[in-house]
Amino acid sequence: MENILLKDNVAEIEAYFAAGGYKPLKKALGLKPAEVIDEVKKSNLRGRGGAGFPCGLKWSFIPRDLEGPRYLVCNADEGEPGTFKDRELMLRNPHALLEGMAIAGYAIGAGHGYIYIRGEFAAETGVLDKAIAAARAKGFIGKNILGSGFNFEIFTHRGAGAYICGEETALLESLEGFTGQPRLKPPFPAIKGLFGSPTVINNVETLAAVPSIIEKGGDWYAAIGSGKSAGTKLFCVSGPVSRPGVYELPLGAPLRDLLEKNCGGMKPGRKLKAVIPGGSSTPVLTAEEAKAVKLDYESLAAAGSMLGSGAVIVIDESQCMVKLLQVLARFYHHESCGQCTPCREGCGWIEKLLNRFEEGRASRGDIDTLYSVADGMLGRTICPLADAMAMPVMSFVKKFRGEFEAHADGKICKGVRS
Amino acid sequence: MPTITIDGKSLEVAKGTTLLEAAQQLGVYIPRYCYHPKLSIAGNCRMCLVEVEKAPKLMTACSTEAFEGMVVHTASDRVKAARRDVLEYLLINHPLDCPICDQAGECGLQDYYMDYSLAKSRFSQADKVRRQKRRAVGPQLVLDNERCILCTRCVRFCSEVTKTSELCVVERGDHSFIDLKEGKALDNDYTLNIADICPVGAFTSRDFRFKQRVWFLKKTPTVCLGCATGCLIEAHHNENTIYRLVPRPNAETNTWLCDPGRLTYKAVQAGDRLVKGVIKNGLIDLEPALREAAARIDEARAAVAVLGSPWLSVEDNAALALLAKDALKTGNYCFDFNTEQGIKDGILINKDPAPNTNGVKLVKAAHGGLSLEELSRRITSGQVKVVLAEARAAGFIKDALKAAAPRLIAFASNRGEIPAGSYATLPYASYFEVPGTFLNYQGLRRRTAPSVEAPEGVKPLWAVINKLAAYSGTSLRLDSADEALKGVRS
Repeated sequence: MENILLKDNVAEIEAYFAAGGYKPLKKALGLKPAEVIDEVKKSNLRGRGGAGFPCGLKWSFIPRDLEGPRYLVCNADEGEPGTFKDRELMLRNPHALLEGMAIAGYAIGAGHGYIYIRGEFAAETGVLDKAIAAARAKGFIGKNILGSGFNFEIFTHRGAGAYICGEETALLESLEGFTGQPRLKPPFPAIKGLFGSPTVINNVETLAAVPSIIEKGGDWYAAIGSGKSAGTKLFCVSGPVSRPGVYELPLGAPLRDLLEKNCGGMKPGRKLKAVIPGGSSTPVLTAEEAKAVKLDYESLAAAGSMLGSGAVIVIDESQCMVKLLQVLARFYHHESCGQCTPCREGCGWIEKLLNRFEEGRASRGDIDTLYSVADGMLGRTICPLADAMAMPVMSFVKKFRGEFEAHADGKICKGVRS
Repeated sequence: MPTITIDGKSLEVAKGTTLLEAAQQLGVYIPRYCYHPKLSIAGNCRMCLVEVEKAPKLMTACSTEAFEGMVVHTASDRVKAARRDVLEYLLINHPLDCPICDQAGECGLQDYYMDYSLAKSRFSQADKVRRQKRRAVGPQLVLDNERCILCTRCVRFCSEVTKTSELCVVERGDHSFIDLKEGKALDNDYTLNIADICPVGAFTSRDFRFKQRVWFLKKTPTVCLGCATGCLIEAHHNENTIYRLVPRPNAETNTWLCDPGRLTYKAVQAGDRLVKGVIKNGLIDLEPALREAAARIDEARAAVAVLGSPWLSVEDNAALALLAKDALKTGNYCFDFNTEQGIKDGILINKDPAPNTNGVKLVKAAHGGLSLEELSRRITSGQVKVVLAEARAAGFIKDALKAAAPRLIAFASNRGEIPAGSYATLPYASYFEVPGTFLNYQGLRRRTAPSVEAPEGVKPLWAVINKLAAYSGTSLRLDSADEALKGVRS
């Protein structure tokens, strides 16, 4: 099928407009905000940042009758290891994002939208700023958009390099100028978000899907994909496959097809060992599990993992799972904000335990310690960063225990290529 | 008014009540580090996790509001496991230097470890994160980052109570630590509260450090006499020495205690504490000093003036009134103090530095007397030959004293208080040593309770006055402080 999000030659506003861009915005502005929300509800569009929360429902949480401003925030702080889809989307189709934001802003009654973009994305920020200027020049954003009386401004804001600021409330703290640390919920951002006002925070990919939904209808979108997982999703594949990269597939496509058809299979001489299906924080799948699973929210949950951000990390037999987990642990240890006890202390403990495995200082008992340290973090913190550390640890230990035992016993690593 | 069930017991609570507060109402204690009733909710320590039926995850009791029909378990296996885990995490990077830590004996880590864990650590000593050890962070406090559990009570105290915001958390993860903001020192009037609310040994009082193991301390509930606010406090003492004062939180007056108030105990055991009399500048034994002062009073009788004091208890002021009225039969007495009162810093410190301006008003109501201006006028005119006054109160009439130079017989507990030109000075027992009644700026009646004994021979002021009366050939016949209160509205 034709791509909805990843399109070529639409980065410039003229080309985007020629391809039918900004017509959905005009259409949306002719509807009542509640009708726009209903259309998005009908589409079954779910958050593409990782959690998969229904988008229309999220918009409907914004109180209608409240005085004062409301805000729309686009989460472009793409930081989950293995994830590089939003970056591609912003470079190739920036106006879909801006148009989606204008429509979302209209639906929730926001006058301002912020794109909180990962600090390292300097070029992408440049593309967005240029696109914003072009859209403003054409009257698609700014005052009295298309004569509708609706005012909407969009600003980019570059992050300062913390993974945690991809968590929506840490993002809000950072956007307000404070240390990026997640907020205690409730209150949820829909009630008390940016600058204390009702706020919707959506991922880039979620917002970019909105114009097509308005143009072609919620039913059209809901018919794509499978069951409750509607629409298309970007998958960013990394690892030893022939053609790693970003691919747009309808939800429900078999993971096997993504790897074999889109990515051209494993590189010559490499054998699939495992797949992390949704970004580094999602539980790992063995090769057998990976070959059987479909890429949608429900199927991956049934397989004990998550669709997450759609970052498919392919691991081949030459890789050592212990070493890989050590790399992940170093990352989460470095990125834990330090607020909650289990995450602050647990992430470091896990990295240190894994260092012992890698340095030949671990015992078999350390395997159980590793597992239980992770277990003690799971679901016990303000934000899911502790879970993001715990889930890979627990799944790696469960599914590849043999490699940990080999490290503990033989003090050697059987997996790593010389 | 939602009704909830906690550990099988139901209760109705006000809307907005948190699970932790509701449990407290039922007498169910939920352990906590970051929660403090007077600070904002941080929810970061994760010690107060409880199980709520139908909720997939454990919930923080400190931040979760009670909703109709909630069924809460505070001692289920899941909750116990979570507490054990949190304690294990907190202790892995803790230096475990209890033997040299001042907090030992009143430490949140020690106490909860005994109550909720008792597990053996599985963490390698060699892997501990090292942080900065002791450093002074202001005139009153020492900070040891290695002992800190990052509950952020101190940070919130400085931003929410004193609104001075000296502290912040810097860095991230297990390398984060509490630090002073650039260019700041922890130097406000309430810093010692931080040592109190710090649940571990990270912030310790420079004054109290290494002076005493806390389990040796005896605790006496009493009243701070540092100003008219009259905060309720507890004096911690051992073997006749006071080591520190801490607040006794109460709804009427104070949760906290200011640093100057906390240090008021120092005068009691200061090097200049008076245990003998002073005649002119020479120390002499108490008895001869009393006799000398009494002889001067006897000479003057009706030409004696007596001044009350807002630094003295109601009882001692009443005794002074009786001395003037009944024993010396002089009309030259004054219990007229009208210092403006009210909290001056928005927290605790009062505009009126004296603790008993309102208490003296009771004595004035019972015994009358001159206005401060009239007394000053009479002294200045030269008709007064001898003035009896408490040392600090003498300051109210210092111009008159300077002008006419009558013989001043002062009552003082420390040498530093003695007014210039004082003829005789008589020591009296501090209100850390004897009971006394004080009325704070709100009019609340508060009694001090003795924590330590007065130095040998040093008596309560009413007894000193009683003796002065007898030695000057008159009589008061006071057998107790309460007897002085005759006629004073209680």
